[in-house]
Amino acid sequence: MEVLIQNIPFLLQGAYYTLLITLVSMFFGSLIGIIVAIARLKGNKVIQAVARGYVSIIRGTPTLVQIIIIYYGLVDFGIRLDPLPAAFIALSVNNGAYLSESIRGALQSIPKGQMEAAYATGMTPWQAMRRIILPQAIRIAIPPVGNTFIGMLKETSLVSVISVTELLRSAQLLIAQYYSYMPFYLGIAVIYWIMSTVFSFLLNKLEARMSIYE
Amino acid sequence: MIKINGLVKSFGALEVLRSIDLQISSGEVVVILGPSGSGKSTLLRCMNGLEELTAGSIEVNGVIMNAEQSKKERTKKVREARLHTGMVFQQFNLYPHKTALGNVTEALITVKKMDKTKANQLGEKMLEQVGLSDKKDEFPSRLSGGQQQRVAISRALAMDPTVMLFDEPTSSLDPELVDEVLTVIKELAKEGRTMVIVTHEMQFAREVADRVIFMADGVIVEQNEPEAFFTQPKTERARRFLKMEELEHREGVKR
Repeated sequence: MEVLIQNIPFLLQGAYYTLLITLVSMFFGSLIGIIVAIARLKGNKVIQAVARGYVSIIRGTPTLVQIIIIYYGLVDFGIRLDPLPAAFIALSVNNGAYLSESIRGALQSIPKGQMEAAYATGMTPWQAMRRIILPQAIRIAIPPVGNTFIGMLKETSLVSVISVTELLRSAQLLIAQYYSYMPFYLGIAVIYWIMSTVFSFLLNKLEARMSIYE
Repeated sequence: MIKINGLVKSFGALEVLRSIDLQISSGEVVVILGPSGSGKSTLLRCMNGLEELTAGSIEVNGVIMNAEQSKKERTKKVREARLHTGMVFQQFNLYPHKTALGNVTEALITVKKMDKTKANQLGEKMLEQVGLSDKKDEFPSRLSGGQQQRVAISRALAMDPTVMLFDEPTSSLDPELVDEVLTVIKELAKEGRTMVIVTHEMQFAREVADRVIFMADGVIVEQNEPEAFFTQPKTERARRFLKMEELEHREGVKR
């Protein structure tokens, strides 16, 4: 127990990276998700097929394999990434596919009349999407996107295999040093749990705030 | 104002409009009547480009849309035509995430590029016109159907269209809320606005229309001044329709 308390600053640094990777991959994942969702709904046949292929490949392969391909596999093509950027890229691309599905569902749930009303006042498709459809869809997408977010927080532990010293790997390093497993593993479990709980709470707040118009 | 020539609209194999010719002049209030499925809503939706034309052409205030245009040209013309038309929908279609005032000012800001203060001033004036000044900060979910539809009317009016299109504006309202919406529309008619109204409210049609168009099975069966149409319909089809409507109305009153 004592060694755990002594090393909490080191673990918190790991937690910082876990959080950083989560936030970065959620941010870029959301951008990718919105673009892919719109591409699948409004794009021409080729664009739709590409978007569908992307989602299918990402959802049909393990995240761990995707991370390894980005970090080790791309070296064959002369692309040598540092662990952290590799983690950002792998998880953003991974996240984008899952988020695009939530966002697509949300976009489809907006009644057709909303788009028509916007068009009838002379808006362009882009204006109608940005001002009328997306704000409503994002509100609807918050619960599923929140789940993805919490999932991503935990999934970041996978990037420990490419030697990113996030929370899991910081525990592993300490274990190698002290030859004691349980305190560190339990310690990081508690930290993961606290982070998930805090984010669930914040997401609920956000959802409540965005539903003032209901 | 509006010139429709040889308009055909099909959905797949189903021909909803079969060669419609119609002219509407400035200041005229035209009411379109007909049994459901007669194509009247589709005709209205063609006028502001919500439906693509299968054949024929529509001219709205000098802007011509026709079936031969390329997709790009069509998109451009449709947008132009929409700036001349205001549309009121059966389901209101207010933006639920915006307040009453936000609904009215949205297109003023995004489409007309008006600055926000000015848009708000105009928006408040428009809401006042439909008697909803005190509701300007409410979200649509807090408004009754009648109030929502009045907001929708001022949203369309705010863009200062040359012609207003009403697609069954009272059909999804509770009976006791119908009158407040019809009153607003009658006011607009008095102001001399050009309007095309699809409705099932016969009494209202009779009061407000300069001309009644009766449609059935995708064609215009007859058109006439309202008094003449309601008292001496020329065709058997119209007579049958009016009788049915009268029966339904009586039953409605009894209930």
